[in-house]
Amino acid sequence: MQADVAVLGGGSWGTILAHLAAHNGQRTALWMRNPQACETLNATHTNPRYLGETPLAEGITATTELGEAVRGTPVVIFCVPSKASRAVARQAGEFLTGDQVVLSATKGLEPESFHTVTELLRAETCALKIGAISGPNLAKEIVRGQPSATVVASRFHEVIVRATEALHSSLFRIYGQDDLRGVELAGALKNVIAIACGAAAGLGFGHNVRAMLVTRGLAEIQRLGVKLGADPLTFSGLAGVGDLLVTCGSELSRNFRVGRGVAQGKTLAQVVEELGEVAEGVNTTHVALALASREEVAMPITEAVKDLLDGKVAAQEILQDLMGRAARYEIDFDYTAEVSA
Amino acid sequence: MRAEDQNRAVAEVVSRVVGSVTKGGSQSLERALAETIYHERKRIERGSSSRSRAKQLSAWDRRRSQLVRGSDTVRRRVLEDLVTRFTREVLGNFDPKVHAMATRAVPFGLSALLHASSPQQLLHRFPQLGLDDRIEVNGAVDHARALQDKGTLVCVPTHSSNLDSIVLGYGMHEQGFPPLLYGAGLNLFKNPLVGYFMRNLGAYTVDRRKTAPIYKQVLKEYAGVALEFGYHSLFFPGGTRSRSGEIETKLKLGLLGTTIPAFANSLALKRPKPRLFVVPMVLSYELVLEAETLIDDHLQAEGKARYIITDDEFSSPLRVFQFMRGILELDARIYLTLLPPRDPFGNPVDEEGRSVDASGREIDISRYLCAAGGEPADDPHRDQEYTRELGQHLVADYLRGNTVFPTHLVAFSAFSALEEMHPQRDLYRLLRSGAEDESLLFGDLARRCDGVREQLLQLEAAGRVRLSRRVRSLDGGDLVVHALRSWGTYHTRPALSRRGDRIDATDRNLLLYYRNRLTGYGLGRREPCKQT
Repeated sequence: MQADVAVLGGGSWGTILAHLAAHNGQRTALWMRNPQACETLNATHTNPRYLGETPLAEGITATTELGEAVRGTPVVIFCVPSKASRAVARQAGEFLTGDQVVLSATKGLEPESFHTVTELLRAETCALKIGAISGPNLAKEIVRGQPSATVVASRFHEVIVRATEALHSSLFRIYGQDDLRGVELAGALKNVIAIACGAAAGLGFGHNVRAMLVTRGLAEIQRLGVKLGADPLTFSGLAGVGDLLVTCGSELSRNFRVGRGVAQGKTLAQVVEELGEVAEGVNTTHVALALASREEVAMPITEAVKDLLDGKVAAQEILQDLMGRAARYEIDFDYTAEVSA
Repeated sequence: MRAEDQNRAVAEVVSRVVGSVTKGGSQSLERALAETIYHERKRIERGSSSRSRAKQLSAWDRRRSQLVRGSDTVRRRVLEDLVTRFTREVLGNFDPKVHAMATRAVPFGLSALLHASSPQQLLHRFPQLGLDDRIEVNGAVDHARALQDKGTLVCVPTHSSNLDSIVLGYGMHEQGFPPLLYGAGLNLFKNPLVGYFMRNLGAYTVDRRKTAPIYKQVLKEYAGVALEFGYHSLFFPGGTRSRSGEIETKLKLGLLGTTIPAFANSLALKRPKPRLFVVPMVLSYELVLEAETLIDDHLQAEGKARYIITDDEFSSPLRVFQFMRGILELDARIYLTLLPPRDPFGNPVDEEGRSVDASGREIDISRYLCAAGGEPADDPHRDQEYTRELGQHLVADYLRGNTVFPTHLVAFSAFSALEEMHPQRDLYRLLRSGAEDESLLFGDLARRCDGVREQLLQLEAAGRVRLSRRVRSLDGGDLVVHALRSWGTYHTRPALSRRGDRIDATDRNLLLYYRNRLTGYGLGRREPCKQT
């Protein structure tokens, strides 16, 4: 069977994207590494490891053969962790042709190169019609049939049109965007702020602290994003503030749970073990700081998150340090300017 | 363009331009004509006063009244006439009167050379000028040569001087490449020596004073048609010469954008060699002929690239002569560096002409012209994005292919010393000031040069830039001495001059110009140094 849409990666978000496409009547191939999970999905239309017994749309065909999913499929969506993206892209490059529309649904940056996932896709494959999907989309809410909205960003109109055809429905609204860089950076960087919010919750703080971290966190990731060529307005959209609102307050967010766990005194390794899934924010914190130092951008909250994850300083102390910083102007044309008499 | 192809090319260009205008219906036809008449009248009014001006204006007035009264059939005929005239003009409008006048003004040595009866003979005698071993062509020369029979070459060099065309024409000819088709601004023909080379290069004329959109469309269609006919071509994607001295980072994608439609048309018409190979090229000079005028123009915030320089060092044969003498005295080299060719979509191309991805797998580039999972689809917006992508690759290629000379390195080091001396000053104040107590110590500058050189050596090892042999072998002090000598042999005021153990920034604009060539490599802290 020739699929209309291929989703690469059978984690929770990949499975949900396949579910949304199939729900839309698209013949959908889902590439998974694990042969057993693949067999189960084809037999029972569930993905128990990530999504419990929730029934998935029947139009999904799972496969462990990358070529079977990718070859000739008009729309290919990459949804593997950023650490594995390059290797999978290189393999998929064997089967991709220049007409195909390729999307990334991973919100992360490659550790060594600092590349966004679409940059990797461009570097490793012949694909040019590339885009990214990013927004406030908790897999576990969508699978329960709750409505949601997301951004599809690409410089190519055709990418937005094809992604909309594949995924847009009364359950899942798609908004088009051409600031690909901004959308990818917002999606990746906001995970760091989610960890900070989780930590605040872990320390028992309430809404005031969370609101402070969300807005000041947004300010710093936007500052970095703009330096790297993003449109500042993108950070006020679904992929920026929208996604922050969700991940910074939800028990369902992996990054939030990482922050909370560590603030409550667990080690990072313990928390990740309990999570059983990749929390992109951990890796993104290091990448963000490296970029911030290169671009000479101040990112105090991100630095605090790094200290927290390193486990060398107590969470309480880190927060005190943040609060102990000098007073500044909020709309910071010149961030270094302090408020003084 | 060969005579036998000219009529075919004119017919093709006219039908494409007229077709695209009339596709928009009666209104579009009327608008295109009205615009053209408006722009042409403006141009004539701006031009020098003469009797011919009145005559020309009345000719345009006649056309205007035809347009007002006429039917669509009449309008279409007027449009066809206009487009045909423009196209013929582009194909070959060499004014012998201008040429003869300019030739008389050339100093004896050069003019003897210029009286060679043919471009071929001129090329043959070129070595007598002593420039032949000054121009070094390096990089992916064999790679590009291997492709010239497998498709059409589209050479896209950086642009810093009007001499670029000579260097390219000579360098490529010496390497056994066929002549390149090239759209040259009318002002280039002011210099007779270059005029000859232009023709040998296969130049067609671009009149920048003509601002009518239809004229620009003619130029673009002609470039595309020539590519489809298999003429190896040359575009400067930076548009005009770099005013700031920087390597171009913002490319004009118009002409570059003709490559994809040319490829698509050739595929659709099943032409034998439909492929196009984009060859990035970097021209690196130790001294730039027009440096002084270019940087002044850059610093005049109002003018920028819109301002067309019609009179600069280039139109003065004496300056050209002095410049060449300078190059000879200095034993300086001009590098023409070819970078590995790409397809119109930005992918690398191997020596067989196959597009390949990062893992060396062949790419079927015809699929880029298809809708996802489907058939070929015409989509100008998509093609524009492909071209933008190609442009990004070219910008990166240019940085890699750039050769650093002592003048660049020393200017960079001295300028950053000045910046550090006055951290509060903006660029303009820095350029204006220049008191004696602001001089640098020779030893300090030399140490600074050593530091920058160290960084450059690392960049070169990583394949991110190229270094001239002097930058590779001399230490900081010798580099300063050499750079001072280079500026001194040619520029009216050198960028830096020496007083005992002190170095003065005599011409800071010039210093900025040479410094800017090292923008984009992340050297030092404060960069890029732009006026905004």
